[in-house]
Amino acid sequence: MKETIIIGMSGGVDSAVSAALLVEKGYNVEAVFMKNWDEEDTEFCTAAEDYKDALQVCEELDIPLRSIDLTEEYWEKVFKVFLKECESGRTPNPDVLCNKEIKFKAFLDAAKEMGAEKIATGHYAMIDYKDGLYRLKRGKDINKDQSYFLCRLDQYQISKSIFPIGELNKDYVRKQADKLDFLNFDKKDSTGICFIGERNYKNFLKKFFDIKPGEIIKESGEIIGEHEGLMYYTYGQRQGLGIGGGFGRKEAPWYVSDKIIDENKLVVVQGQDHRSLYHKHVKASKVNWISGSPPDSNADITAKIRYRSLDTSCQINYDTQNVFIEFEIPKFAVAPGQSIVFYDQDICIGGGFIESRANKNIL
Amino acid sequence: MIYFDHSATTPIRPEVLEQMNIVNRDYFANPSSVYKTGRKSRSLIEKARFQIATAIGAKSDQIYFSSGGTEANNQVLWTIANQKNKHVIISSVEHPAISKVLEKIKPYGVETSTIPVDDKGIVLTNELMNLIRPNTGLISIMLANNEIGSIQPIKEIIKKICNHNIPLHTDAVQALGKIEIDVNELGIDYLSLSAHKFYGPKGVGALFVNKNNNIKPFIIGGDQENGLRGGTENIAGIVGMGLAAELAIKDQNTCVTKLKKLEKHFLNNLKEHIPSAKHNKTNNLPGLISISFPGNKSNILMAKLDRASIAVSNGSACNTGNIKPSKVLKAIGLDDNINLSTLRISFGKDNTIDEVDFLIKTLIEIL
Repeated sequence: MKETIIIGMSGGVDSAVSAALLVEKGYNVEAVFMKNWDEEDTEFCTAAEDYKDALQVCEELDIPLRSIDLTEEYWEKVFKVFLKECESGRTPNPDVLCNKEIKFKAFLDAAKEMGAEKIATGHYAMIDYKDGLYRLKRGKDINKDQSYFLCRLDQYQISKSIFPIGELNKDYVRKQADKLDFLNFDKKDSTGICFIGERNYKNFLKKFFDIKPGEIIKESGEIIGEHEGLMYYTYGQRQGLGIGGGFGRKEAPWYVSDKIIDENKLVVVQGQDHRSLYHKHVKASKVNWISGSPPDSNADITAKIRYRSLDTSCQINYDTQNVFIEFEIPKFAVAPGQSIVFYDQDICIGGGFIESRANKNIL
Repeated sequence: MIYFDHSATTPIRPEVLEQMNIVNRDYFANPSSVYKTGRKSRSLIEKARFQIATAIGAKSDQIYFSSGGTEANNQVLWTIANQKNKHVIISSVEHPAISKVLEKIKPYGVETSTIPVDDKGIVLTNELMNLIRPNTGLISIMLANNEIGSIQPIKEIIKKICNHNIPLHTDAVQALGKIEIDVNELGIDYLSLSAHKFYGPKGVGALFVNKNNNIKPFIIGGDQENGLRGGTENIAGIVGMGLAAELAIKDQNTCVTKLKKLEKHFLNNLKEHIPSAKHNKTNNLPGLISISFPGNKSNILMAKLDRASIAVSNGSACNTGNIKPSKVLKAIGLDDNINLSTLRISFGKDNTIDEVDFLIKTLIEIL
């Protein structure tokens, strides 16, 4: 009998074309629409629209579409962590956790229970199998590569997954969608954190936290403004500080270089090239190695400190708890809480959470 | 597909469909037109009105056609928003076509009190008297519930309130063809019907209005339906509804006997093979069964049944999959976990014992 693949269908073009490719390959394809976020605020609730788009695609492909509710799991395993991280002034990345805990755990479990051999998603990443190990590889379309978000998956999760569009580029995917008469072919790419979507990050967080305003200071300690709460700012942030002009060099913008959590102070520096915005050493915790074990010490490793950045060569050392990374060149705006993701050329070998950063090797 | 979701909607009867096709093909004229073909359209509508009236023991001039049960309910409730006595009493198990409308018309000064139900989903009529106020302008209690099938003691309620001169509305969309409806015996003032719940077409319904009422139009336009419902009549739909109502009454006894047989067969087998399943018993609208499967989630169960080509419902989910505990199941005292494990199985006149056996077999497999 044909292998049953259950695809996570979001209503977007990537999962739609993924489903089409699986159908073409002759799998028994079924689709599941995941509801992860319970939105009362109808202005921003796009789930109903997304469902309609997903349904149109599935009807076009003549595959079933069913819905599952994972809002409870998402709240417990992803959103609570997100809130805790925000509260401690870090810059969390819930999409990394969502993949580990929801899409490739709760959804995978549900799909298996519903009779699937494997699941598929519309991620831009590739999987291969070599020397007894599954390997996660960057998507072919280097602008869309999403292996960063998949860095916490393990061998089991990857072994049960298929990324049908990993070898395609986005333009081609859209063209295919158009050709297949999918009405979502020109739907905008989703941006930002899924449960916040297009809305204002600050206003969203304000629903969950009290505002704890504090001082904005220069490195010298001089007070030059007031912030609305440390969690609303991230490292390297330039916009929305409310302190443009009037201080120091008029033409150079201000950047967040540090947060002093105990004192509720936000430290800013002037100019994008300021040395306090750059760090060579990073300490990462809870590192997941996709193969199950750390890389060879002589491997050429590069690392990415955020999704939208190029990776940079680095040396890594580790003890039982942490991984210590020394970049070849200092990196801009290393933000604790974000994932640092390691690559061996095109293979994503794993990732951890940034704990701290420094310019000397004292981590 | 094996269809066990007749409380959501029913397939159209072939003879109804045929009649509607004839109407759509041959009788397109506007019923308000006075020439020959217009008069024919008019007479078709009036015949259907008579069929509906007969089905519920009413007179033709008490029947007003609408787009469905929801519109009929809206018309009654929005009338309250425009009158002096703006207090409404409803049961805790009403359909959103009642409860949500009342939320919507709150800004017009409409206040709502809710009568609780017992663990069988039947309103506690004794509570009713405490809720009545001098400005109570309407009591609206459904005849039969759509999620659990409880049948409300409308006659008893009328007896209790007859001295207060408060109009009583009942949403009877689940009831026609399954329990006898006689508006005179019930003594109600308004009653809503929907054609697609009794093997008629979608998009057409009717409101029964007793005399001496100040019901206002909800859809405003031409003078159709005695000025109470603007818009050119849905002739084919109305004809279909009339015939479906007539046939539903004609077949009621055989249909109910069949439904009860299917129900009994299902429940006996369920008890034997899946003893952990919990039947949420009520006084039982024929064919509608609410079952909880503790330890399971209804949306996963539904997905698995769908894979086996079996259609049932969980009443509480919207199609995006967001499951929330059902208010009706809450009202009968189910905790959230049991609530979210509940399926509604609603049999229809064309289901067979073999189909029920297949349902049981599939449930055993997936649980």
